[in-house]
Amino acid sequence: MKNKKPKFAFFDFTDCEGCQLQIVNLNTVLVELLEHIEIVNFREATSERRNDYDVAVVEGSVSTPHDIERLVKIRRQAKTIVALGACATIGGVNAVKNLNPPGIAQHRVYGDKGKNFETLPVKPIDCFIKVDYYIQGCPVHLNEVAEVFKCILAGKKYDMPNYPVCMECKMNENVCLYQKGQDCLGPVTRAGCGSWCINNNNICYSCRGLVDNPAVDAQRDILDKYGLKLDEMLAKFSLYSACGGEKYDQEIKKR
Amino acid sequence: MERYVKISKKDFYKWVDSLKKHGKVYAPKRKENTHVFRPIKDSSELDLNYISTILPPKKYYFPQKESLLKFSIKPFETAKAIQKFEEFVLFGVHTCDLAGIQCMDVVFREDPLDPNYINRKDRMTTVGIECLKPCDKHASCVSMGNHVPRGGYDIMLTEIKGSYIIHLNSQKGEDILQGHSYIKKCTQADRNLLDSLRKNKERVFKEEFIGQLTEVYTVFSKLSESGVWDDVGKRCVGCGNCTTVCPTCYCFDVKDELDLNLNDGLRYRWWNSCQMDDFARVAGGEDFRPGRVSRQRHRYYRKFKYPIDKFNRYFCTGCGRCSRTCMAKINLTETVNDLIKEHRNVSIGI
Amino acid sequence: MTEVLKPGSSEPPENIYLPHLAAIKEIREETQDIKTFKLVFQDEELRKSFTYKPGQFIEFSIFGVGESPFCLASSPTREGYIECSIKKMGKVTQAIHDLEEGDIVGIRGPYGNGFPVEEMKGKNLIFVGGGIGLAPLRSLIWNVIDRRDDFKDVIIVYGSRSIADLVYKDELKQWQNTPGVKLTLTVDPGGEAEDWKGEIGFVPTILEKVNPSPGNSLVITCGPPIMIKFVLVTLNKMNFSSQQIITTLERKMTCGLGKCGRCNIGSVYVCKDGPVFTYAQIEQFQEEI
Repeated sequence: MKNKKPKFAFFDFTDCEGCQLQIVNLNTVLVELLEHIEIVNFREATSERRNDYDVAVVEGSVSTPHDIERLVKIRRQAKTIVALGACATIGGVNAVKNLNPPGIAQHRVYGDKGKNFETLPVKPIDCFIKVDYYIQGCPVHLNEVAEVFKCILAGKKYDMPNYPVCMECKMNENVCLYQKGQDCLGPVTRAGCGSWCINNNNICYSCRGLVDNPAVDAQRDILDKYGLKLDEMLAKFSLYSACGGEKYDQEIKKR
Repeated sequence: MERYVKISKKDFYKWVDSLKKHGKVYAPKRKENTHVFRPIKDSSELDLNYISTILPPKKYYFPQKESLLKFSIKPFETAKAIQKFEEFVLFGVHTCDLAGIQCMDVVFREDPLDPNYINRKDRMTTVGIECLKPCDKHASCVSMGNHVPRGGYDIMLTEIKGSYIIHLNSQKGEDILQGHSYIKKCTQADRNLLDSLRKNKERVFKEEFIGQLTEVYTVFSKLSESGVWDDVGKRCVGCGNCTTVCPTCYCFDVKDELDLNLNDGLRYRWWNSCQMDDFARVAGGEDFRPGRVSRQRHRYYRKFKYPIDKFNRYFCTGCGRCSRTCMAKINLTETVNDLIKEHRNVSIGI
Repeated sequence: MTEVLKPGSSEPPENIYLPHLAAIKEIREETQDIKTFKLVFQDEELRKSFTYKPGQFIEFSIFGVGESPFCLASSPTREGYIECSIKKMGKVTQAIHDLEEGDIVGIRGPYGNGFPVEEMKGKNLIFVGGGIGLAPLRSLIWNVIDRRDDFKDVIIVYGSRSIADLVYKDELKQWQNTPGVKLTLTVDPGGEAEDWKGEIGFVPTILEKVNPSPGNSLVITCGPPIMIKFVLVTLNKMNFSSQQIITTLERKMTCGLGKCGRCNIGSVYVCKDGPVFTYAQIEQFQEEI
């Protein structure tokens, strides 16, 4: 273990800062972590604004050219980059903008003055810089945050689960929501949240992104068998996966 | 005590209430439109009128997450992490699940003995309950021979005309029946009733597979390249539900977890599934069982072929959970029957 | 209740998942991503009594990171220590490469069936290795050399991507100089240097050139799957039967004891019934290897 405490900095881009709020919500765990790390820049929690950080925790997706500039600067300074939350890892809710032709969003928000605000299609941060650790979720799950921070401190890789939420949900002995006539996105969503939403009687929204190898035609079969509509399901996916979901959408529509 | 005794339905719930002095009692409870095994405080929470539970009772002697050892980095120490478990009673287990318990026993007692499993299993008292009528189209217990009691319990309850006939199978069973005046002798007339109930069952319970188990084994030996597997694999989502709910699935993974002080930690094992993408992948990236076709096929072979070669025992209990829970509605009975049909056609030369 | 095992304790662990503690005595860099670790058990009794067969493997623990299976690269004829050659590939191997001499690790084992050394006595032995595949073969090679009179002629064909990727460079020379041992080294085309005196070509091609005879011989081969595939084709051409070809398989062996199910192929467990198999046995598996 290192003798010197690594310096952590937290940054946000296009996001709601909810994941950073979750970091603060770590409560006593955060206090214990502070025995091992030093936070030098965290706008939501402290007034310190230093730039000599080793680890940069980045929340939010990229939507302007200025974002890209800032991101590249951060990558140059930090030895380790952590993508925090769905916006940073898969584009997140912001990517809903991408579903409309460019210019619509600017017009809706800024009216005539929209042309003054340059905006790009929303993308996750690893489209521009190399990311060392990914923490999925909207918001991030506190247990996973603690795990990833421990991995960073121990200098080891964090293996994201590559199996669907169904596994965790079944181990928690939940009644399957499909049997209650709801279309849950669990079967193709990456696990790691402990089936948080289903434990509390809500469907999975796929906020953690798809597994590496989602079963496209099988998912279609399931919808047919339970009498659920494909369009409704795809609409649900677009909430978080509008960015990367294109390929999945095309494949599932093919059949 | 006699091998067979009797308790009236009236006194039955009194006896169930008395069981808590032998330890925690886990029994089927209602959960929404289905059932689960849960600890019960008294007999009013019990619901024996159930088809199946979401998870089989394996979660009690082979838990979802189980610690194997504790360790400390400075000062360097490793330790066993088997805690002393309390005695407990597993109540109301169907004969299919009892078969599952027996299968897991064979595996974990095989050399080398698994101490974590033994620790929990040896503290368990099992009370089985016999099913009097077939449950639904998902089960295949008749073909697997598990619709009647075949051991694996300390006590078996069979309901007959206003009472339960109790079959005593071990000292543990006797222990939880001792000292109750309402446990009566079983008369010859009662035994005759039991016999005719069993005979009647043979008429009412119909075999689900179109062939006998010996034929099933031959079919599996020959048809590993069958198109049936391609069909099943295409429909499969890879959700892993089938293996999670199966009473005889026991594949696990081992992980290390560090405390926040980064010094102490735990090595634990947790349920894993051969249906997971990374199950057969090694560090170099090579996957030795790619694709859902080969994985589903592997799962069936682990129930109908490999364990016969190894232990001379089928590992499918016929409980029907995998078919019931499958999101893609892949049905075990259908799959086996499709294979049998294909094999018969091939033999005739179609 | 928990029982504590401290370093230096002579209590045998009854829990099958509890590792023995060992210290790293020496680290040798073989190539840019392969290191050989020499390990000595903390418990003195165990140091003397630990015995194994070539071809067996151990589960190497780094507490807090995880556990991985590695074959024993040392020969049981040399007592007091064990050696493993480890390539940096994933999470655990990365952490192993960060270790230093003196660090303490956990070792469980030995597991697996090992090479059928008794059956090899009195026969000609042909070793065909590629890259890090030489590690399990090395255990057997030194065993054979240490008991030289029990075995007949020894032919070794070993190759790597380049000269830098050859492992056990110093020992290769020693094998070369052993009577009755014929060593042929090769590197892939493009991997040679100006002063390279060995062969240039892929291992199966060079094997064909060496042209060993199948009479009273056994072949022991280990290396990347693509190499093995072509080695088999070559051996077939030279009239070797599948019973004469022995290899050691790689799988994700987590418990090492036949319980966790991950190394299962057909009705066998690689960790218990293997990892050493003849090709005649492998052809019986219903699954693709």
